[in-house]
Amino acid sequence: MTKNKIPKKIKKKGSDPINWIAPLVLLVLIIVALEAFVRLSGINRIVLPTPTAIFAKTSAAFIQDLWFHFLYNFKVIFIGMLVAVSLGMLLAAITSQFAVIVKAVTPVVILLVVTPMITLIPLMQLWLGSDPNIRILVVMISCTPIIMLNTLTGFTNIESSKLELAKSMGASKMQIFAKVIFPNAMPQVFTGIKLGCIFSTIGSVTADFVYGMQGLGFKIQQYTKYVMTEQIYGSIILIAIIGFLLYKIVAMIEKKVVIWKL
Amino acid sequence: MQEPKIKFNNVTKIYKTNRQIITAVKDVSFNISEGDFVSLIGPSGCGKSTVIRLLDDIIKPTHGEIYIDGEGIPKRKKIPSEQIKKMGFIFQQPNLLPWMTVRQNVALPLRVFGLKGEKWESNVDRLLKMVGLTEYSDAYPTEISGGMVQRVGVIRAMVHEPEILLMDEPFGALDEMTREQLNIELLDIWRETKKTIIFITHNVEEAILLSSKVYVMGTNPGRIVSEVDIDLPRPRTLDMIITKKFIDFEKKLTDLIGEIDLSKIK
Repeated sequence: MTKNKIPKKIKKKGSDPINWIAPLVLLVLIIVALEAFVRLSGINRIVLPTPTAIFAKTSAAFIQDLWFHFLYNFKVIFIGMLVAVSLGMLLAAITSQFAVIVKAVTPVVILLVVTPMITLIPLMQLWLGSDPNIRILVVMISCTPIIMLNTLTGFTNIESSKLELAKSMGASKMQIFAKVIFPNAMPQVFTGIKLGCIFSTIGSVTADFVYGMQGLGFKIQQYTKYVMTEQIYGSIILIAIIGFLLYKIVAMIEKKVVIWKL
Repeated sequence: MQEPKIKFNNVTKIYKTNRQIITAVKDVSFNISEGDFVSLIGPSGCGKSTVIRLLDDIIKPTHGEIYIDGEGIPKRKKIPSEQIKKMGFIFQQPNLLPWMTVRQNVALPLRVFGLKGEKWESNVDRLLKMVGLTEYSDAYPTEISGGMVQRVGVIRAMVHEPEILLMDEPFGALDEMTREQLNIELLDIWRETKKTIIFITHNVEEAILLSSKVYVMGTNPGRIVSEVDIDLPRPRTLDMIITKKFIDFEKKLTDLIGEIDLSKIK
């Protein structure tokens, strides 16, 4: 059993390499430990295959046809999130203009957030048929409520001192929104989008389960039929990678936009 | 006789909450001449912050009229742009917008008032230079010290060349030394620009050092209790603080404020 040594030299100032080296080392250690555990304990490959077997079989499948399903889920989630972010923020912007409407709408949005939107999938199949692009709609309805809720909170939670500043300059409602309320809400908005990422993967894979034919969720069902557990684990990891990439993209954009909160 | 720059005529502000009715200020009347430096002083809750917020249209009066250059401020509608442009407000809490650089914060009134052009932009640079912040013009508010933040707040209120400056305990959160330095800087600015200044403070020494006239305000309800002319020579300097005349003024004002506190207990 070999372990990787942590490199001692830090090459650049600024972006500290330890930020990605440390988790990578941990990951390698976990994989190594799992490999050892599975081999030594003689656990059945149906329950838990070795990491090397998972990697080998999944890579083979990936080159074959899994890459297509991977990209399909990525596309569904990405587009669904884009629409959800735009729609969620727009709805929040409109609602936030009137205090009464905010009070009326907030509990309803909370209800939408906590109700699993995936429960609507069978109904949607009934209404809308089997068009594969309906899955984008599923992702959309899963993510929009939480993004809207957090954006709304961001728009309505503004320090009175900042509002006073705007008023002292006789700013119009539009000016106050554009120059003060909107930028101020950005940290909250990004929190909402990050939470939306969680719901997006859930929505996409569940839609695969119900609609079938395409997607990593569908492949998992296929692999289960043929007891190809290595590929099942591999697909799960691929789904996790999509979620991770999405989250990282959001975090990168956040770094550029929210420069003042580190 | 010349029209006063600012005139308050029996101004009252009443807040109604679920539990009680609060009279923030009652029957406040005063005239301030152009180019005057006037302080409002008094204990917490005396309505001094309310008074300048009424003037700057941040809140509306319940009764009474407010005039700037003889023109009344509308009682229901928003104040017209020409009137509010005459005023610059300097806040107690540093409320610089954290997503903007120092330069962008200073230029904010120009953007809101729609003042475009070389002349206005050059004000930004000139003011930054005046308070020694040119090097920090691209820094963010989180990256500069408290004293710098206050300076930015002061020049931001001046960038659109207002005739009136309203200052709500602007140096309250700073240490003694920085405060004294900024007091002198403020007097220099006033002497050069001849603006009309209303200055709110709870610091008696600061009020006497800076102003020509001090209005003492009381609580329950918020109102003007007394008016004291400060006839110390100008330009004022920090070493005036130890002169007998200055100390007499301090005693006079402290006594007046003390009476208010006592009358609360009675």
